[in-house]
Amino acid sequence: MPRDIGAEVHALLPLPPAFLHILIALGDGERHGYGIMQNVSERTAGRIRMSPGTLYGSIKRMLADGLIEELTAGAAGADERRRFYRLTRFGRRVAAAEAERLSSLLAQARGSGLVPRKS
Amino acid sequence: MPLLSERLYRVLLRCYPGEFRDEYEREMLLAFRDRLAADRRAGRGAIARLWWQLVVDAIVRAPGEHLDVLRQDVRYALRSLLRARVFAFTAIATLAIGVGANTAIFSLLHAVVLRPLPFDPEGRVVRIWAINSTLDVDGFSVSLPDYVSWKERSKTLDLAAWLNGGATLRGTGDPVRVPSLSTTAGLFPLLGVHAARGRLFTPADETVNGRPVALITEGLWRAQFGGNPQIVGSTVTIGERPHEIIGVVPEGSVPQDAEVFVPLRIDVAREDRSDHTAQVIGRVRPGATLDQARGELESIARQLALEFPDSNRNWGVTFSTAYEWMIPEGTRRALYVLLASVCCVLLIACANVASLMLARTAARRREIAVRVAIGAARRRIVRQVLTESLVLTAFGGVAGVLLAWWSVPVIRQWLPDTLPRVNESSVNAPVLLFSLGLCAVTGVIFATLPALSGSRADVVEWLKEGARGSSGAAARWRQTLAAAQIAIATVLLVGAGLLIQSLHRLQRVELGFNPANITTAMIGLTPERYKGPEASWAFYQRLLERLAAAPGVQAAALTNGAPFDEGNTGMPIGAVGPSRLNGKSLQADWRMVSPGYFKALQIPLLRGQGFTGTPARDERTMIVSATMAKRIWGDENVLGREITAGPAGNFTIVGVVGDVRNEDLALPPAPTMYISSAQYQWSTMTVIVRSIGAETQAPSLLRTAVREIDPQLALYNVRTTIDRLDRSAAQPRLNATLVGLFAAVAALLAALGIYGVLAYLVSLRQQEIGIRMALGAGRPAVVGLILSRGLWLTASGVGAGIVAALGVSRWLRSLMFEVSPTDPRTIGLAVALVVLVAVVASYAPARRATRVDPLLALRSQ
Repeated sequence: MPRDIGAEVHALLPLPPAFLHILIALGDGERHGYGIMQNVSERTAGRIRMSPGTLYGSIKRMLADGLIEELTAGAAGADERRRFYRLTRFGRRVAAAEAERLSSLLAQARGSGLVPRKS
Repeated sequence: MPLLSERLYRVLLRCYPGEFRDEYEREMLLAFRDRLAADRRAGRGAIARLWWQLVVDAIVRAPGEHLDVLRQDVRYALRSLLRARVFAFTAIATLAIGVGANTAIFSLLHAVVLRPLPFDPEGRVVRIWAINSTLDVDGFSVSLPDYVSWKERSKTLDLAAWLNGGATLRGTGDPVRVPSLSTTAGLFPLLGVHAARGRLFTPADETVNGRPVALITEGLWRAQFGGNPQIVGSTVTIGERPHEIIGVVPEGSVPQDAEVFVPLRIDVAREDRSDHTAQVIGRVRPGATLDQARGELESIARQLALEFPDSNRNWGVTFSTAYEWMIPEGTRRALYVLLASVCCVLLIACANVASLMLARTAARRREIAVRVAIGAARRRIVRQVLTESLVLTAFGGVAGVLLAWWSVPVIRQWLPDTLPRVNESSVNAPVLLFSLGLCAVTGVIFATLPALSGSRADVVEWLKEGARGSSGAAARWRQTLAAAQIAIATVLLVGAGLLIQSLHRLQRVELGFNPANITTAMIGLTPERYKGPEASWAFYQRLLERLAAAPGVQAAALTNGAPFDEGNTGMPIGAVGPSRLNGKSLQADWRMVSPGYFKALQIPLLRGQGFTGTPARDERTMIVSATMAKRIWGDENVLGREITAGPAGNFTIVGVVGDVRNEDLALPPAPTMYISSAQYQWSTMTVIVRSIGAETQAPSLLRTAVREIDPQLALYNVRTTIDRLDRSAAQPRLNATLVGLFAAVAALLAALGIYGVLAYLVSLRQQEIGIRMALGAGRPAVVGLILSRGLWLTASGVGAGIVAALGVSRWLRSLMFEVSPTDPRTIGLAVALVVLVAVVASYAPARRATRVDPLLALRSQ
């Protein structure tokens, strides 16, 4: 049976905020768990600090959904103690679709005057 | 050594499911360590925030992870159950029957026994009766002057009194007779009754010679007055007098059979203190206790005995709570017995399912062993078994509740209406809660053994053995379960046997009269139209003559209370001259009867003569029952002797008749005396007609005869005596039927248990059987091998069952009649039945064993 990737992508939307943050954190390369936490914290100027429970609960589900994958041992290089994760091709598509969805939502909000247009 | 904070975090991590920890615990600890280091640099606020997050994780995220694992397990269990449909269906159906039957019986128990009375949730309402220990009178009506004295003197009780009666309503089509109550105004507030329309009685309505007013029930208002909204204030003829309807009360708000209420107007000066006619109810006032109220009323009774020695000497009071009064001990006990027996059925059902699951686990040993070998955690395997049982229980529970929901209205219809409040039974929230608890217990009971057996999986052994291993533990457990099922089934069968025996004896008890083809009906003459006993006796004589001459009627008679009517009349009497009473009193039942009464009921006249029907000749004469004669004078000739009946005076005995059970099948006939209805009548009497052949014509015959003589009179409570007898045996019949049914289901389930175990045994021992047959064992020997195993299981089960039954059946004693709880015949019969069922169940596997082909069996090795 052929896979309908488009439908699979849309079945996952909207993404939970934690998922999106993790996808964004992995957007520029692989990271380990604490690396993801750090990235999220830096990008949001410390406003969002993920807890280990939220992080690994999300990672477990994202692995099951095929959004991310774990790097096999050795491929991670420097820190062998830690498990590294990276985006899958599918995860990248889902992240793009979610970003698209959010930006169209934002455009609609601007259109109705809810959000001030950028001058 | 790990830091304190890390150790603390490890503890928090314990909230997560094992699988999750196995996978991520190390990573989470690493992330925690890094984060903690970073937050330390950021200050105390950051650390506090971190811990707060971690605690929230443990409380919110961890249960989510558990749910996730559960979801996976359930999905897996559903898939594997779908693959084993026969097993799943059998298990679910067995559980559904067990849970359904329990839910249904519990809904009855809840409605009848467990709910507090709506008007008395705290148990402060009491029924108060008169007692007289020297007369051996317990729970007797109260005289109205006594009631008034109690009410005036008591500081702990609010009291109300009523008289039961009947009222004829006229002016709304045919005259109708309805049960009525003359009651003091206090009854309604005492029971928390509010008027649905209009108002209730006030003390002003109790004034002697006050305006005639009445209340009616909502049911009567709808049935007789078409729900007329202008009913309040309208006038209706009750008896002969027009009464103003002042209000409508909700149906069933007064726990008495009454549709019309009139005020009870007590003229103490004209009442007789020795005439016990009234029913009294009280509510313990706030601040007082039940014991205080009892003590106070007892002391008032002692004062009254001193003040009025003639009427009150030896009379005291006794209390029962309204709950004990309305829901008798026998009913309560019977329902608990039913619940206990239905619980036994559920236990057997659990054992069956456990046995099925053990067999299934044993058959899946290889699968389990492989999964353990490739790294599945043992707890995961155990949880698999538990989840499977959870899923089975959930399906079985839902199906069971549906079964109960469907069956409760059906059961309700064939329950005796002597069971109070049974019509209010339904599968409601408390019942559902019970079922939920039941399912939880059920699931734990039947899942424990299979789960334990799964957790002890000996991988190496199991892989070696293959799927068909000779499996010690599981098979032994299954045999124990089968024996336990047999034991429980034996207990139930013995119990059912005892109850059926009791019912049988009860129904064959010597009544002292012939109830076949007897129809009785009540009729009320109003004193306004029939002035004096002569006028009413003339009416009754005409009626009886007319009935006796009617086609199809063998005999007709009159009495104030036919056998197995509601209510009884009795009084203390004494003997004139020397007697066995030695000057003491004897409590005797009495009846007013017409001359044809004994012939109509076929009560034998043993000595002397019957009544003549002529008032002058019947004056001061009396006929007594054999027991009464014997209790007073032994075997001496009693004709011509005299009895003194208190204020009623002395009577001369002219005849002796056979003993009659008038009230209760289970009680011996009471001493009874009869006086002539030519002399004494009540305003309400019962007409008795014995038909030739079937009594179907009798009601219309009776109606026609009454209408032809006086169209203003209403006939009511038309019933056959067989009907009344049926009613009086309804509770024992219900007990016997339901316990019998449960015992049958139990025996069937136990048979299934034996069958399953033996069939499994045969499949396990195929090779052994094959070798035996190859070595020359004949079919009888093989059948014997399997049958003997089945019988051994049965024997151990029956042995345990008999011991348990002997312990339990004492508990049934109060529900039994003329049967000993250790009746050897009943126990023998139950055992024979169990053995028979077990042999039948063992035979099929035994036969299958003989079909084992030795060659095939050996080759499969």
